[in-house]
Amino acid sequence: MPSVIVCPSCDLAHLRDSAPAAERTRCVRCRAPLLRPEVGHIDAAIALAVSGLVLFLLSNLYPLVVINYNGTTRSTTLIGAALGLYAQRHLALAALVLITTVAGPFLQIATLLYLLIPLRAGRHAPGQNGVFRLLTQIRTWTFVEVFMLGALVALVRLSSYAEVIPGVALWSCGLLMLTLAALTSQTSPEQFWRWVEQRRT
Amino acid sequence: MTAPATGRSLGLLVCLQCRATVRAMNLRHPRCPRCHAHLFERKPHSLGVTAALLLCAAVLYIPANLLPVMYTRSLLEDERDTIMSGVLVLLHSGSWPIAVLVFIASIVVPLLKIIVLAVLLFSVWRRSPRLHTQRSELFRVIDFIGRWSMLDVYAISLLVALVQIRSLAFISVGWGALAFGAVVVLTLVAARTFDERLLWDTAP
Repeated sequence: MPSVIVCPSCDLAHLRDSAPAAERTRCVRCRAPLLRPEVGHIDAAIALAVSGLVLFLLSNLYPLVVINYNGTTRSTTLIGAALGLYAQRHLALAALVLITTVAGPFLQIATLLYLLIPLRAGRHAPGQNGVFRLLTQIRTWTFVEVFMLGALVALVRLSSYAEVIPGVALWSCGLLMLTLAALTSQTSPEQFWRWVEQRRT
Repeated sequence: MTAPATGRSLGLLVCLQCRATVRAMNLRHPRCPRCHAHLFERKPHSLGVTAALLLCAAVLYIPANLLPVMYTRSLLEDERDTIMSGVLVLLHSGSWPIAVLVFIASIVVPLLKIIVLAVLLFSVWRRSPRLHTQRSELFRVIDFIGRWSMLDVYAISLLVALVQIRSLAFISVGWGALAFGAVVVLTLVAARTFDERLLWDTAP
């Protein structure tokens, strides 16, 4: 019996081939992506998550930028941006920056490792469904790539007043951005549930 | 031409979390059998909720652009910057590509997003039977670019974190930045509560 899939973007029903899709298929009516092909092995996703974790730690341990203003030096880390706002009692804004640049990336990596490591061994992490729903929510609130561009704007604005030296964390943050992008495409909801179903049978 | 088969006409629901297609159950609050997310034919109260969020965003867009987002105190001068004056500072310091980038991300994108979402809501409300593909494309574009508006908030937060040399120079945040952040968050949530499928419900 042919199975039916419904496009989440326009509600059009499609008959699905029994053969697994070799490439990305799009809805015939609204062109939204319908099925993403099998992309990679679960080990590759875990490896990406671990390297993301290392890059995340580096971004918070080393300075993002160092400025030298008349002999006084100041530096900040990734988390420093949120803490600076907190120090000025702008709590809501500090929370927004903290969630989108620090908590978001960290939780994305942590929840994936929590889900994928037991799954690789053929087990389900406790609360798997809830944690995966949390992950898809967090993904919409992680703006590392926007933060990188924001850092560039801040550097340009400062460069006319002070000497600006890019720090180690600027590079690790850039790599973190790329790692998160790769991780998101490797662990699409379809792919995650495919792994779950493969291990059930 | 007969009407195309849709999930609604076939009695099928699609889970927006894990994208599984499920036979509609005769329950008040059906949940996805695979991931246990709530299932609904269309996002509940999509039009009303999106319109309310959009209205808040449109109102806050005004203080976001008029109130100072940043105060600079140094030995030589005391300055207050709005988003626009920040763009002008960048322009005068000779980095026009960055100035254009900030102008587009901070001023054009939020305004465009509010206008486009309002037009889309209006078209759904009027049950417009035309331009489904174009409206759908438009929605995806503004949904994608919306996050880039956070650019200036991040730039300001880094300036605040760095320039804290008490006696020489000191930067503090203004309330405009909070209004601006609220506009970005509200338009992002508004795009999430808008159900794209409403655009297609009038398709022949």
